[in-house]
Amino acid sequence: MEQRWANTSRLTINEKQFIEEALRSEIRVDGRRLYDYRRLTIKFGRYRCLPRATILSCKCYHLRFSLFCCNCREDGSSEVQLGETHVMAFVTGQLLQPYRDRPNEGTLAIFTEFSPMADPSFEPGRPGEAAIELGRVIDRGLRESRAVDMESLCVVAGKSVWAIRVDLHIIDNGGNLIDAANIAALAALSTFRRPECSVGGDDNQEIIVHDPEVRDPIPLTIHHFPIAVTFAFFHEGNTLVIDPHYKEEAVSGVRMTVTVNSNGDVCAIQKAGGEGILSGDVMRCLRIASLKASEMTTKIKEAVETYNAEVALKKVKRHPSLIAQKITVPDVEMKEASFQKTKELSADMENSPNQTSTSLTTTKDKDTNASIGRPLNWDPYSSSAPAIVSSSTLPELVGTSKDANEDQMMQTDEEYDPNLKKDQIASATGVSSGIHKQNSPPKSLKDAVKPKHKRKKNAERGAR
Amino acid sequence: MEDRTDGRNANQLRPLGCSRTILNRAHGSARWSQGNTLVLAAVYGPKAGTKKGENPEKASFEVIWKPKTGQIGKQEREYEMILKRTLQSICLVNVHPNTTTSVIVQVVGDDGSLLPCAINASCAALVDAGIPMKHLAVSISCGLMEEGSIILDLTKSEEEKLKAFAYLVFPNSPLSVIDKVHSSKEEPIEHGIITSVSYGAMPVSGYFDCLERGRAASAAISEFLRRSLQKQSSDDASRASQ
Repeated sequence: MEQRWANTSRLTINEKQFIEEALRSEIRVDGRRLYDYRRLTIKFGRYRCLPRATILSCKCYHLRFSLFCCNCREDGSSEVQLGETHVMAFVTGQLLQPYRDRPNEGTLAIFTEFSPMADPSFEPGRPGEAAIELGRVIDRGLRESRAVDMESLCVVAGKSVWAIRVDLHIIDNGGNLIDAANIAALAALSTFRRPECSVGGDDNQEIIVHDPEVRDPIPLTIHHFPIAVTFAFFHEGNTLVIDPHYKEEAVSGVRMTVTVNSNGDVCAIQKAGGEGILSGDVMRCLRIASLKASEMTTKIKEAVETYNAEVALKKVKRHPSLIAQKITVPDVEMKEASFQKTKELSADMENSPNQTSTSLTTTKDKDTNASIGRPLNWDPYSSSAPAIVSSSTLPELVGTSKDANEDQMMQTDEEYDPNLKKDQIASATGVSSGIHKQNSPPKSLKDAVKPKHKRKKNAERGAR
Repeated sequence: MEDRTDGRNANQLRPLGCSRTILNRAHGSARWSQGNTLVLAAVYGPKAGTKKGENPEKASFEVIWKPKTGQIGKQEREYEMILKRTLQSICLVNVHPNTTTSVIVQVVGDDGSLLPCAINASCAALVDAGIPMKHLAVSISCGLMEEGSIILDLTKSEEEKLKAFAYLVFPNSPLSVIDKVHSSKEEPIEHGIITSVSYGAMPVSGYFDCLERGRAASAAISEFLRRSLQKQSSDDASRASQ
């Protein structure tokens, strides 16, 4: 207990001298080499509660804005651990009025919270200098470099646009908060999905925000990944290290953060005060940073891909167990064969989206022959569903409502989509009404194939 | 309304999760999850000195509540106050006089029963930090349905639909070394209720039903808490040597 009584956020003179001396021999506090990053772990979370009726409309003339409640959608949220540094990012979106000088662009705002749990010296209340600097550096890197596409967030120009808000919570300060927070923000933005909205209504001015179960939420368009790389300088600029530990930060006089992307563009450079650095050293830093940026970009993209794949797999795995309960087809052997097929297809879905189109054409012939063939009917959709499932259709399968009335409502509006959806819904949750409807018009299944391809293209365009 | 939306029956709790020592800088930290409600708590302390207005003859507590998004408002201040009073009553405040212990609570996910989850997380974080305590605190939310039945561990949608519900905090059930037969003759040591926050109007009998049910549930939660804290106590020995 005794060591806690002292002010633990200051280093002793001995520690400072030790760190400086060790760096002369290129030895770091935690044993890394000078240009090594610490271990990076990216975790994602989806915190969602039960779906509610969420079709909201707002009349733009009256400037009444209805908030889409953030609890129901899946918020992009990520948790990044860079060595001992721990940062959480939450992304939420609201429909708001755009800025006067940019009427057809959405807005992106970054809020940083230096939580007192991260460091004993962080005070609650107003953000200090370091918090504001961090927020600004990440803001410049993400927003001003046009990494996130703002024009696609416009719903009605001049009246209503999506305002994306990124909340960064620093949970544990192990040094190099800017880099970790930047990665967290990028990861959260990559997995964030906003609900689809369309302009309609009587006067074509009403905005309808669709329920995530009815229409799939859309991911944000991110053009490039700006990665922040922080350098700390020691010994009057002679020694420089990457990803400083918090003890190294306390010792060094000078710090510089460079935000670059994997294309080699410099998005932002931040060097606030401290001793001067030779311009040659700055160029060296930029070169090192662009190498590190491409490594980091691949790591983030891999983590996002793995996460999306996991989510997709979870949804597809639900499918076989529920078929067993609901289907009462006399042809038992065919059912088992189709199980095998769907299992195999779901296993390779990630690898070969092209194969699915061929399997589609083969099973199409079977459709005309077997009118009962409900298990066979599963095949075209369940095999192609994974292909579509890059990101947009995922959420729909998870939170599908068991409301049969909704299915019927959907059928009156659009003919083809409900067949597709019902199949997916039935495959995910086994709604019996969907299955029965499936049975009656075998012809409409074939017709449903065409719009499905269109949907696939749209989904792919939206996802990439 | 017999079926709850997530398929649980009236007395079923959501899956609990507890992990300790997740942060490096904080002196004690814990993460507690009940279903989709996730709370992270960190403890720094005891630090020298007390704030103005606090009694310098006792240890004082400071609670900072951080919501997931948005500004800090009155709701957060209320939670901070409730948490502070609860923790003050379970800790031994005379062991370290004239000190301040800070507890920081970060909401990571909110799906109902947020305050009970935070109290459980703070208690585990205090254990992780080694702050001397009389006993642990276990918290549960109980809702009263129209027909008078009680449901436990409410989700957000249930909290919004119910007319009345309460957050209750009990001391954890003591682990008795003596024989069960022996102890049943005497009164249990700690029988009191530490904190109760009620929302909505409920009849007196309904409230007492909630208390009974909550106390029974607290036995299950304290069992879980004890097991998860004991499991990680072997790591403590290695940390103490550092």
